[in-house]
Amino acid sequence: MRISKGALLIVIAFIAPLIVELRTVLAWVNVELTVLESVVLGIGLIGVILVWALWPQSQSNGTESAETK
Amino acid sequence: MTNTYIESFPAEAKVVRAAFYSSFLALAIGGLFGIIQTLHRTGYYRFMDSADYYTVLTAHGVLLAITFTIFFLVGVFTWATTTSLDRPVEDIRFTWAWYGLMVVGTVLTAIPIFAGFTDSEMSASVLFTFYAPLQGHPLFYFGLVLFVVGTWLAGVDWFRSWWAWKQEHPDKRIPLPTFMVLTTTLMWYIATLGVAAAILLFLLPWSLGLVESVNPLLTRTLFWFFGHPVVYFWLMPAYMMWYVMLPKISGGKLFSDPLARVVFVLFLILSVPTGIHHQYLDPGIAEGFKFIAMTNTMFLLLPSLLTAFTVVASMEHGARQRGGTGYLGWLKALPWRDPVFAGMALAGLMFAAAGFSGMINAGMNINYLVHNTFWVVGHFHLTVGTAVALTFMAVTYWFLPQVTGKALWNRSVALGQVVLWFVGMTFMSNAMHRGGLLGIPRRTAEPQYDGFEFEAAVGSVGELDAQIALGGALLTLSLVLFFANVVGTALNSRSDDLPANEYADTLSGPSDAPLVLDNLKLWTAIAIVLVIFAYSFPLLSIIERGGLFGPELTELPVHIGLGLEYLWATTISTVTTASETVVALGAEVNW
Amino acid sequence: MSQTAEHEASNETSEHVREIGHDEFDPIGTLTLIGIYFLILVFLWFFMYFVEFLGNDPTVVSGTLVFLATGARSA
Ligand code: HEM
Ligand SMILES: [Cu+2]
Repeated sequence: MRISKGALLIVIAFIAPLIVELRTVLAWVNVELTVLESVVLGIGLIGVILVWALWPQSQSNGTESAETK
Repeated sequence: MTNTYIESFPAEAKVVRAAFYSSFLALAIGGLFGIIQTLHRTGYYRFMDSADYYTVLTAHGVLLAITFTIFFLVGVFTWATTTSLDRPVEDIRFTWAWYGLMVVGTVLTAIPIFAGFTDSEMSASVLFTFYAPLQGHPLFYFGLVLFVVGTWLAGVDWFRSWWAWKQEHPDKRIPLPTFMVLTTTLMWYIATLGVAAAILLFLLPWSLGLVESVNPLLTRTLFWFFGHPVVYFWLMPAYMMWYVMLPKISGGKLFSDPLARVVFVLFLILSVPTGIHHQYLDPGIAEGFKFIAMTNTMFLLLPSLLTAFTVVASMEHGARQRGGTGYLGWLKALPWRDPVFAGMALAGLMFAAAGFSGMINAGMNINYLVHNTFWVVGHFHLTVGTAVALTFMAVTYWFLPQVTGKALWNRSVALGQVVLWFVGMTFMSNAMHRGGLLGIPRRTAEPQYDGFEFEAAVGSVGELDAQIALGGALLTLSLVLFFANVVGTALNSRSDDLPANEYADTLSGPSDAPLVLDNLKLWTAIAIVLVIFAYSFPLLSIIERGGLFGPELTELPVHIGLGLEYLWATTISTVTTASETVVALGAEVNW
Repeated sequence: MSQTAEHEASNETSEHVREIGHDEFDPIGTLTLIGIYFLILVFLWFFMYFVEFLGNDPTVVSGTLVFLATGARSA
């Protein structure tokens, strides 16, 4: 674990506003996502975050996440 | 050995608990209505007549924006004064008396609202903004009066505690939580003069049939005189929690006590003279007055920005003491697993987003774009519906053990609850904002029209509706989890392994704050002067144009049981205006 | 409730690793966060300017200013 479980939950929750707002912002540059595409993108992002968070700590040099529990 | 609130102040803990439970009951009923109207509006599930929608909406608005918030905050304020002055209330019977008055007022107000669902004559589907021309049953106004008087007496209770404390500690600074309570109370006293006048002088006599008509613009203006500062009555207790609880829970100290005092003083003096910003679209108020209200409003952003800085800095202090490092890396060191912390932090974050839509509302020109659209509903579900409501729910997880002496039923459920609120509100509020930009109106049971379609810039209106319904469903689920925790905790047995009753220490303490900050008389006087500046001319011109009781009025009833009100009407008007209307009125009243 | 007497206990969480006083505390992270917020605000205002003002006639306030400056009513 690279971050605490609590922090992980919050980061995942954060995907909601990100995806929701991203759709509007992208439309401004003429990229129109459908709902389905947004949902897939959101799930994909959550997957990436999970992989990042759960990746064994030993892989990284672990300089800055000393507080992880 | 524990040192909880209920152990130090057993009698007060009972009142605080009663206030909390009353507020939760309002939250439960109001929340139920919230999901009903969400499903109705969006067309997903319409089981009632659309005419009843407005009764539901009134109940939702009154129960959540008035009952839930205010019952909770009187509990918090009583906790704050007793804890920070370290003394019991002066007379617990008095404390129960104002609580009882608030309960009676609420019940009397609720009766006519709920009667709106029946076939009876009685109803009060006037929405929580209740100004003319909508007219409710007299009981509605009467109940509101009792409720507000209850809050006034609560303020007296807190002031009494402070006065008594001051006798014993003449040279000490007012403890910060008490300072916050007192400034908020003073603000509330000034603010409620507006509704008191609107109800007692106009709406109640009108609904009783004692006067034929009223001047709608006058009752609107008096309502908003109160309607803006009431948002600070909700917000200031939430701020108090961010200042005195959040730093401790983050593992640090409040960054600056003086800055916190400055913020509350600014709220005291600036909250009231801004109400006209809700009336940018009202004809009959000159543009110049609206411009002044806008300027005051923009100044009012200052204390909120100061709060953002102080609160974030306090959290950062906690995070660094817990080993956090880096420009943003410290965020990871915060106690995100603690529902009290996570809930308040997420509430604060949503408030930051609300800051933007609020600036849009506050700008005179831009307001025209969003006025009375669904945008506004999206905005205040971020402010009162999240910044305040979520903060209150989050601190409940700290307060419940304090006032019941029982451990919280389930912390993980609590964490899930606050996160779910955040996610649900993201969906609901975002779609409301966007719907408003398309011109979709608020307060509409069936926002769909023959031969006309709203055109969405992104996606479709159907998608917006789906998003709102999804958000509403998540919020409702979140509420269910919240109540599960409240009930579960109440059913727990007493525990003696609870955190102590305490609040955050400060990095820069009260001794760094200039003494003048504690001069409540001075700030109150300035607040009143600003109110007179902002309101006397607009009120005068409204009365001059439309008359005190509306343009139609030809005669005043002479034999009335409520002579006192007329006496008061004359006195108030003489103070605020010297116009001919008043002279005429004075001459006609039969002394 | 004496804050100072109590605070020792309150800070004794398992994660509390160091004590940072008033003078050592440099809220650089706060500055970063608030800076980001400020940038977002500026961007949104900028965005709004394009949406609301550029495509439209003078609005109330600008109209009043024009009126005051030139004496001519624009709308
Ligand atoms: C389950 C959570 C909630 C849902 C689903 C919900 C839903 C709604 C909806 C759809 C409306 C707009 C109706 C319309 O304009 O036609 C509304 C209005 C409103 N809501 Fe909520 N809401 C919730 C929670 C809250 C909370 C917690 C508060 C305040 C503490 C609140 C305060 C209000 C107020 C003041 C109004 C305006 C009433 C009026 O226009 O007269 N709501 N709500
Ligand atoms: Cu306002």
